[in-house]
Amino acid sequence: MESVLRAENISKSFGPIEVLSGISLDLKPGEVHAVIGENGAGKSTLMRILSGHIAPTKGTLHLNGQPITFSGPVDAESHGIVLVHQEILLAPDLTVAQNLFLGREIRRFGFVDDKAMRERTRAILHELGTGIDPDREVSRLSIADRQLVQIARALLVPHKVVAFDEPTAVLTPVEAESLFEIIRKLRAQGVAVLYISHRLNEVKAVSDRVTVLRDGRHIATRDIEGLEPLEMARLMVGRDMSKLYPEKPATASDQPLLSVRDMAVPGYVENASFTLHRGEILGFGGLIGAGRTELFEALVGLRPGHGTVALDGKPMHFRDAREAMAAGIVYLSEDRKGKGLLLQQNLRVNLTLAALEKFSRGSFIDGNGEETALDKAIKDFDIRTRRRDLLAGQLSGGNQQKLLLAKMMLVEPRIVIIDEPTRGVDIGTKEQIYRFIASLAAEGRAVVVISSEMQELIGLCHRVVVMRNGRVAGEVAQADLSEDSIVYLATGVHEERAAEIAAGHA
Amino acid sequence: MKATVLKIAMAAGLMAGVATGAMAQQKNVTIGVSIPAATHGWTGGVVYHAQETAKQLEKGYPGLKVIVKTSPDGASQANAIDDLTSQKVDALVVLPFNSDELTNPMREVKKRGTFVTIVDRGLKDPSIQDIYVAGNNPEFGRVAGKYFVDNLKQGNVVVFRGIPTVIDEERVTNFEKALEGSGVKVIDKQYANWNRDDAFKVMQDYLAKHPKIDAVWASDDDMALGVMEAIRQAKREDIKFVLGGAGMKDMIKKVMDGDKMIPADVSYPPSMISTALGVTAAHFYTNAPMRGTYTLNAQLITKDNAKEHYFPNSPF
Amino acid sequence: MTETVLRSSAEKRRFNIDMRALSPFIALAVLIMAGALINPDFLTASNLLNVVTRSAFIAIIAVGATFVIAGGGLDLSVGSMAALTAGVMILTLNNLGGGDVGTLALGMLAAIALSAACGLANGLIVTFGRIEPFIVTLGTMGIFRSLVIWLAAGGTITMRNFDLRELYRPVYFGSVFGIPVPIIAFLVVAAIGALILYRTSFGRHVVALGSNEDVARYSGVPIWRVRTLTYIIQGICVGIAVLVYVPRLGSATPTTGLLWELQAITAVVIGGTALKGGIGRIWGTVVGAVILELVANIMVLSNFVSEFLVGAVQGAIIIIAMLVQRSVHRGR
Repeated sequence: MESVLRAENISKSFGPIEVLSGISLDLKPGEVHAVIGENGAGKSTLMRILSGHIAPTKGTLHLNGQPITFSGPVDAESHGIVLVHQEILLAPDLTVAQNLFLGREIRRFGFVDDKAMRERTRAILHELGTGIDPDREVSRLSIADRQLVQIARALLVPHKVVAFDEPTAVLTPVEAESLFEIIRKLRAQGVAVLYISHRLNEVKAVSDRVTVLRDGRHIATRDIEGLEPLEMARLMVGRDMSKLYPEKPATASDQPLLSVRDMAVPGYVENASFTLHRGEILGFGGLIGAGRTELFEALVGLRPGHGTVALDGKPMHFRDAREAMAAGIVYLSEDRKGKGLLLQQNLRVNLTLAALEKFSRGSFIDGNGEETALDKAIKDFDIRTRRRDLLAGQLSGGNQQKLLLAKMMLVEPRIVIIDEPTRGVDIGTKEQIYRFIASLAAEGRAVVVISSEMQELIGLCHRVVVMRNGRVAGEVAQADLSEDSIVYLATGVHEERAAEIAAGHA
Repeated sequence: MKATVLKIAMAAGLMAGVATGAMAQQKNVTIGVSIPAATHGWTGGVVYHAQETAKQLEKGYPGLKVIVKTSPDGASQANAIDDLTSQKVDALVVLPFNSDELTNPMREVKKRGTFVTIVDRGLKDPSIQDIYVAGNNPEFGRVAGKYFVDNLKQGNVVVFRGIPTVIDEERVTNFEKALEGSGVKVIDKQYANWNRDDAFKVMQDYLAKHPKIDAVWASDDDMALGVMEAIRQAKREDIKFVLGGAGMKDMIKKVMDGDKMIPADVSYPPSMISTALGVTAAHFYTNAPMRGTYTLNAQLITKDNAKEHYFPNSPF
Repeated sequence: MTETVLRSSAEKRRFNIDMRALSPFIALAVLIMAGALINPDFLTASNLLNVVTRSAFIAIIAVGATFVIAGGGLDLSVGSMAALTAGVMILTLNNLGGGDVGTLALGMLAAIALSAACGLANGLIVTFGRIEPFIVTLGTMGIFRSLVIWLAAGGTITMRNFDLRELYRPVYFGSVFGIPVPIIAFLVVAAIGALILYRTSFGRHVVALGSNEDVARYSGVPIWRVRTLTYIIQGICVGIAVLVYVPRLGSATPTTGLLWELQAITAVVIGGTALKGGIGRIWGTVVGAVILELVANIMVLSNFVSEFLVGAVQGAIIIIAMLVQRSVHRGR
């Protein structure tokens, strides 16, 4: 079949650094074409070239067989090529309809025609299979609904090619499934869909063909048939990835280190109790919004909550993160960019922020000590950075996570709580982070891993506590770890069976 | 001009008479007063005199109530006037920030039958004001200019302007007009906002820029004080004197004591608000006709007459 | 493409950062050259010393403002606070009545104590009241200003003791080894400020707080204490500025310190500190304060700008100075 959009030998350089070299890719009407690769492989750059946001340094684009250059994203849109951004780019205080038509309002006698826009919005949202109220303010929508609004906005213009950049990063499995339905619908209408994702299972489920990039180069383009996620990972990383998860360290004990009884966080968590043992990796599973993050934020004093917390049998109450750190407990936020790192500051400032008193002589900071610590962190955590003076915001997601880990390890904690340790992290770095978490437990520390990725909990943890609607729904022991057992507890489907599991192993 | 002075004397006499209770009539009258807030020495003087006079008058005329409202800028003054009129005042005494802006609001006030007294800065439409107690800004500039012509005769003068307003413009143009044809030359003029610190800085810059300055027209006593500090710091001997203006008590004291650098001052008394309040009250409590214009002339204050202008208790 | 880089590039890094911090100095140099072209009297030692000396108040206040702004806050009350502190200091001196050093020291102590207390009040209301600093300090700006007007009864608060006035005068007009005392004062304040902001954990915490409050909180930074302290430092800086201000004219009026808050904020921004917080440049701030004063000086010294247009030209020069800086940033 004739391709609708074809890229030929595309290269892109920023200054002396070539981030893409000689990429060719063709998109056919009615296919879902996935582009996968590690962070920094050039996926986003390629996507931005195809959608007219940036111009290639070398190579040409062809639209319906004719060579074409886009003057900008608006030009590309007018040719039917739309991009659904990874970040939510909506004005939170405007309504859904106002956002959808922002910058392209329907006018009537020079005035905006709210009624017409509302109707169009309703129709498009309905087509996407959702009943979001067009008059609702975006700030009052869930993240998933905002994503839908963003997709609706992209689909408002006549489209031949729709590109999705990591669309499921903020979605729950159920929400992701309805997104796939939308993608399949688009495909059925003869639209070419370009799909970028880290989640190889999703790629397997939704796409027809897969193009793999590595270090800015084209590695392979294959039909999905017969291409398993493991093989995709091998192509992306360039080595065998069958051993993503390390051996679980045999250090898990039954000596309680931290016990939490009847923890409550107003509006989020009720009566949560659990025990963390020395040398163990304890997983926390559940759907987004189940209250896992809130439970642990309250535990370390980052939000108000009450309950009985005992560390080594001694009752504790932390009023802020500082006190928790002093007791040897660190919490690594899931929101790395918003709560974990100072994106506008350099690596050194970020690294030592939590443990600054360790780098102080008298009242003054020991700059050399900091530099030495940064050298060590770069080496120990394999933080990959072009230059040492980069800002934290210029690192890739994986390297940011490594920096955050390095920062919190300077506190020398006994208990490490990691919220979504591999969100937005490429697969090669994932493996490194898993090995690091295992080594923490092997050193006798206790680790809590909060994760929405079932495979991660199963592959990494000794034990998994599952939360649902602000309560602890149950616990799954190592021997029983499976996607099924976690999903049952997380969703409450098959209530009786979930109760059985919980009772059997509590 | 003579007639005016006479009228003022008469008003003052009436006031004094009333104060002794000789002609007191029991009658309820409310006078609203809207003046600028005390953000500058001179306006501080106005506030002081307004409050003092209000107290005296209320004592002298049983049944009289005086409400004084101060405002930090022109817009809030318009609001203050609204507030006052809604309290049903019989008369309104206003020292406007900007007479142009206030002309229309005051016309509305007048239409309701309120008696209107304007102080210092006259309204665009003079038919609105029943009484106008006028400061004479052109005269202020002229008197100062004449002093330079008479006493300096020849030489270079630097000029300090206040804040860009009509008042300032009238003073400076007439000052320059008075110098025309004489040997006195204005070599520089800059705004210093009627502010000591700004005048200090501008004078420092004048001293750096001009190797020979014969005299300074600071045009305001606050600014004159800043100018004096800068001259003292630079140890410059070429400057013969500094002429301020308004009649601040510290400056009058210097004139009285025969300070060489401050041989004179030009009056622009904040007590004009007292005159206005006095004649307004008299309008209600006596039968004498009070309507008309009262012009307070800018007077040259020298060692001879300084005593009459010295009010040690005033904050200004 | 990505590769681990160790110490080797440290030299290059230093150079880059220097370029950035250097840009206000480049703007200053350009301005000085322009001034020299406009009027030869500009480059005389006495003129330059005058200008730098009188920039001292704003420079000292702006050092404090650098802390507040770098920490993500804002203090609009500094001008009024300066007026109030000056007024209270003079009234204290007048009431003590003496003409000796002891009296003066007591008065100075009172000034610093009062301004620090004003700063503490700002800080506590901002942190514990959880109110926007813009609103809080707008409120205290009015309060401080009214208090000084009330104390002065609309007039002027003047130092009455002539001996004391002469004793105190050298603090503004005197010099040590040819350098005027106010310049020494602001260099010392700036040096101490730089030491605190760049070399102590408190300074690091200020920058972290200004960069992202959440990250600071999640990293165990005691944010309430740090934020309140920035306002106290601002207060103390105002107090020090007042100590240098009072001997100049020996008086405080209701117009003392009017619009100083805007000048201080402008100096901070010209100096390269981000108004949204997270970056603080003490030396840039000091240069910014000098630039502001220099622009006014050049305006008076030049002959071809009508006094009516001085404000417009000043505004334009400040914008151009910022553009010069920006182009230096881009050039790196």
